[in-house]
Amino acid sequence: MKKTKLRSWLFSCMVSIIFATSNAWSAQEEKNSSGFAWKDGAEIYAKICAYCHEAQVGPQIRNRELPTKYIRTIVRNGNRAMPAFRISEIDDESLAKLADFISKKEVPH
Amino acid sequence: MTSKYIALPKGVSEKDFDAAISDFRKVLGDASVLTSAEQLAPYIKTMMPVSDAEHTPSAALLATTVEQIQKIVAICNQYKVPIWMISTGKNLGYGAAAPAERGQVVLDLKRMNRILEVDKDLAYALVEPGVTYQQLYDYIKEHKLGLWLSMPAPSAIAGPVGNTLDRGVGYTPYGEHFLFACGMEVVLANGEVLRTGMGSMPNSNTWQVFKWGYGPYLDGIFTQSNYGIVTKFGFWLMPEPPAFRPFVIQYQHEEDIVEIVETIRPLRISGVIPNAVVIAHALYEAPVKAKRSDYVSGPGSIPDEAVYQIMKDHKLGIWNVYAALYGTQEQIDVNWNIVTQAFGQSGKAKILTEQEAADDPAFAYRAKLMRGDMTLTEFSLYNWRGGGGSMWFAPVSQARGSETLKQMALTKQILAKYGLDYSGEFIVGMRDMHHIVDVLYDKTDPEQTKAAYQCFDELLTEFSARGYGIYRVNTAFMDKVAETYGPVQRSVHKTLKKALDPNGILAPGKSGIR
Repeated sequence: MKKTKLRSWLFSCMVSIIFATSNAWSAQEEKNSSGFAWKDGAEIYAKICAYCHEAQVGPQIRNRELPTKYIRTIVRNGNRAMPAFRISEIDDESLAKLADFISKKEVPH
Repeated sequence: MTSKYIALPKGVSEKDFDAAISDFRKVLGDASVLTSAEQLAPYIKTMMPVSDAEHTPSAALLATTVEQIQKIVAICNQYKVPIWMISTGKNLGYGAAAPAERGQVVLDLKRMNRILEVDKDLAYALVEPGVTYQQLYDYIKEHKLGLWLSMPAPSAIAGPVGNTLDRGVGYTPYGEHFLFACGMEVVLANGEVLRTGMGSMPNSNTWQVFKWGYGPYLDGIFTQSNYGIVTKFGFWLMPEPPAFRPFVIQYQHEEDIVEIVETIRPLRISGVIPNAVVIAHALYEAPVKAKRSDYVSGPGSIPDEAVYQIMKDHKLGIWNVYAALYGTQEQIDVNWNIVTQAFGQSGKAKILTEQEAADDPAFAYRAKLMRGDMTLTEFSLYNWRGGGGSMWFAPVSQARGSETLKQMALTKQILAKYGLDYSGEFIVGMRDMHHIVDVLYDKTDPEQTKAAYQCFDELLTEFSARGYGIYRVNTAFMDKVAETYGPVQRSVHKTLKKALDPNGILAPGKSGIR
């Protein structure tokens, strides 16, 4: 067995041993609290979109009745300078709420 | 036969990859293992001038716990599947969420997003990789902790873990972020969990207050590297000062940068000006106020006459020095006298404070950055050429006036050769300056994209030939930059890699390390 292959094999054995003995004291902490979750479309808009789309960096997108499917597609794929947003950042359910929020006409107070 | 995957890891058969994916699903569940083209689309978009195909992932894994990550690395070791770790994935001018090499599996830690602790008295935070600056900012406000963040310009959507691990910088007195890092938890390639510094000692309560621990300091090897997966990260926060005075100093001639730097250096080293000062060129600030197409059309870089017209129309200097004073009102008053006297000597400087410039959009967003408020206004840069092309060219310079002038002139000359504009700034460190240039181009234009690639390559070649090192680079040019630091450093990096990750499963290619 070549030296590098031996080293790789030994390493794999070590990995198995680590999992067999399960040293993960940190794993217990993982059960403590849950992570961040979006409340609604308005919150996502305010905390992400508005920084560009309400600041003359990106185009105005509210009150234009843009189709929700179009909004979802642009968010997931990005468009030129606009970055794409992953499901890990905005989950599908939250994205649907965001698309509704952007698409619907703002009711004047 | 057509593959069911949009890409495969280098050297891994589809059969083995099937088995790995099946095992990943057992650990994470089907919904957290992404393999379809639609699911992976957001992991492919980059602003780099290379084909998306070169950076297409084979899959993405959404992990939320350390235990899951330990199991993932075991599977990766078994099938020799490489993973590319991301946190918020918003390192936009450096490669975004896409892997360094085609076929790597993205380990997406965005959902690992708990704020584990923020200590008001000792002014530190311990967070997971998916925490954004916005999330932490809101938490601090909600709990009235009176602490300030330091963050890079993509603030709201980026996060402290990814930014600091890539040795990014911000604009407050805590702007050199890695200096303020204190304690990491790292999952190693063999599945072991290392807590650095004081975190290695059971029952220690000093993990986030004493950086060094005992023995060799290890945190540094987990930055800009691929030696482990950082799952928890501690860092210090700045107590909110009683008073804050942001200001801008404008100069009218490019060669004035010599005077600017010679004036700032002693003030920065002595701590009179405590924050990471920015010396921004007019073309870095112009996109906030002006459209390029109003001043120039057709190919080629923008002529100096057009830049002078923009300065005149939009009240910009050719150099705009943004800095701030922090502390009690008495401290600020004393230091303000020192600053105004120093900059007032030559008669060239125009000093503006919030009183004169609060409504100026460039000043407003710079003031926000210097007090750790959320803003994405710097993204206006991307409208300058349009088309979504951007690479950060980031050489390091001495904080010495003559050096900055040389670097600026060389950069401008090379950019002009390829028809691109100098959108540059210098971020003043303690004794160095990060010379940051956004190489902006239209990625929808194949000719401009090709020119941008060649331009960036030439910038790296010419700067390294003169001994100017690059501190950070996008994923398309990591090998080239690693080469400029010489064979011994590369060899040491490789030795560490072999020792810590013999199967090469963690982010092969990061910083040119395999």
